[in-house]
Amino acid sequence: MTVKEIFDAVLAFDEATVTGKTQAELDGGTDIDAILNDGLISAMDEVGERFSSGELFVPEMLMAAQAMKAGLAILKPHLSAGQSQSKGVVVIGTVKGDLHDIGKNLVSMMMEGAGFEVVDLGVDVESEAFVKTAAEKNAQVIALSALLTTTMPSMESTVKAVKEAGMATRTIIGGAPVTQAFADQIGADGYSADAPGAVKLVKELVA
Amino acid sequence: MMINRAIINFDKSILDQIHNRSLELLQDCGIRFPSEKALEVFRSKGFRANGQTVYFEEKAIIDALGTVPAQFTIKARNPEKSICIGGGDYMMAPGYGPPFIIETTGEKRDATLEDVHKFCKLVQTSKCLDFNSSIVVQPNDVPTETAHLDILLGTILLTDKPLMGSTSSEVAALDSLRLAEKIWGNTNDPVMISLVDSLSPLQYADESVESLMVYAKAGQPVVVHSACSLGTTGPITIAGSLVISNATTLAGICLSQLLNPGTPIVYGLGGSPTEMRTGGYVNASPEDAKHTAIVTALARYYGIPCRSQGALTESFCLDYQAGMESAMMMTTAALSGVDVSLHTCGTYGSMLAMSFEKFIADEDLCGSLKKLIKPVEFSEEAFAMDLIKELGTSGNYLMQNHTMKRCRTAFFEPVLSTRAIHIKWQQMELREMDKRAGKILADRLSSYEKPDIDPMLERDLVRYVEQRKGV
Repeated sequence: MTVKEIFDAVLAFDEATVTGKTQAELDGGTDIDAILNDGLISAMDEVGERFSSGELFVPEMLMAAQAMKAGLAILKPHLSAGQSQSKGVVVIGTVKGDLHDIGKNLVSMMMEGAGFEVVDLGVDVESEAFVKTAAEKNAQVIALSALLTTTMPSMESTVKAVKEAGMATRTIIGGAPVTQAFADQIGADGYSADAPGAVKLVKELVA
Repeated sequence: MMINRAIINFDKSILDQIHNRSLELLQDCGIRFPSEKALEVFRSKGFRANGQTVYFEEKAIIDALGTVPAQFTIKARNPEKSICIGGGDYMMAPGYGPPFIIETTGEKRDATLEDVHKFCKLVQTSKCLDFNSSIVVQPNDVPTETAHLDILLGTILLTDKPLMGSTSSEVAALDSLRLAEKIWGNTNDPVMISLVDSLSPLQYADESVESLMVYAKAGQPVVVHSACSLGTTGPITIAGSLVISNATTLAGICLSQLLNPGTPIVYGLGGSPTEMRTGGYVNASPEDAKHTAIVTALARYYGIPCRSQGALTESFCLDYQAGMESAMMMTTAALSGVDVSLHTCGTYGSMLAMSFEKFIADEDLCGSLKKLIKPVEFSEEAFAMDLIKELGTSGNYLMQNHTMKRCRTAFFEPVLSTRAIHIKWQQMELREMDKRAGKILADRLSSYEKPDIDPMLERDLVRYVEQRKGV
């Protein structure tokens, strides 16, 4: 029952064991879907729950996500087109004029850990770059971050640009000065006050 | 065994270590300045640069520190309210930057320009606040690009205490100088102070650097401040945090002195824990307070004035937590010898909201600390030897002239805190602190009087702002 050991190793933040056991299972002919879903992804679901309840600290959650990704990298070349490599594509970035990226990085790591493909455009990102990348990657969600009140208008212009481009991509926003009321005002499709909430929101939006 | 509970023993070898390791970072890692204007200054002075990263040799830092004045005076519109920074007094300004107001109901709402004006009136009538903030709150009902003009105009007209200039952009800094020029003419004397924050780790944002350059060229004082979230934007250890932020602050100070040797600088450095369950920023902790104490020692080591955080709290209401955290932060600053604090009145949770009632409560804290740090008088009269001998064991000091002469000035008298006996407290109409603060607030605002200003100057200031806003 070594798929369970992969699950346990993710929860122990033990990257070496995750990669070792994943490779061993792969070599032993275990079903890839079982390794992926019962080992890696379900472990990250458990990590997400333990993090949300306050049991796990951020560095521990991030190390678990890193261990999970290392395991996933081993599986990737063997996944067929039909096998679900990701739950969806999220384009994320801190909006134009804003250089703060801690919150954005946290959300990005948690989304990857939850099984999404995340395209991180970094900080100080123009509206056009969000629109262009989302179109190229066929993203389901664009996630916008801002820490400064002075850069919140850039969120509005980005949401507007997405709508004007006629894309089906949903927009979500977050950051210390941002509120649900502001999200409603600028016509964003969602808001979350924290990183676990953002992951839950994206899961709902792509469902 | 001798017990020493000082946060830092003023052991020069520790300060030497922090300084030398900071120099090591400045030489090996450098500091990122994403501004072509700043890079041009560094390159023209022969600094080594790689892309936007500038490297600093020890001599450049020592030379820069050598030209920073130990003290300076900022003129107020009312000369009686000018302030000396670095002269031994503790100068205080209210909250800086929150976009929200939290009401006594616990509800959070966007701050408005009317809130800015109300806070200006409170600063003007405050017995403990010495100067204004440039963003006491960030108003949400005026355009972001010109909000600094609305705030500055309101501050100049509603108060006659010293100002802070805006650092939200280079243009905002220039606007701040233009408005000051209308009051003081073209002067190199300090007439405002500004806050330039770095962007941890080891870099500055372009608007901060370019604002710093505007003020330095004009000889106007700047608080150069670096702080990291421990474990997020800097090392989780206080020693590591001190080194990374000290290096960043020293680089900013160096730029100011390259542009204009002698530019008045206030040294600033902070560090706050990361809430490890969320990754959020936490302030008002023992770790923040430790930074304050050590940073004050570092500023003394460099011989320049020092800034610390103020009455911070993670609470959202006027409860024990708000009072406890604010008092820990402010008391540490006061006893460590900090020269300047921002955020001393009105701040709630992670500096994201202001509260009018907390402002009133913090004034009691600030006032009591100013009394706490005032030197005790040890004159012949103060020892009162003759009186003690005369009265012996039978004395009633209440009946003596020595007491009579001093009974209105000897003790700090809180405005908000209660000193009533229990039965009187039970009978109080407004027993809860936030309700009593609300009553004081209403009285303060209704009795506020606008300070005198030359009508021509007022028109000139209003016209400038209107023109810039395209009204």
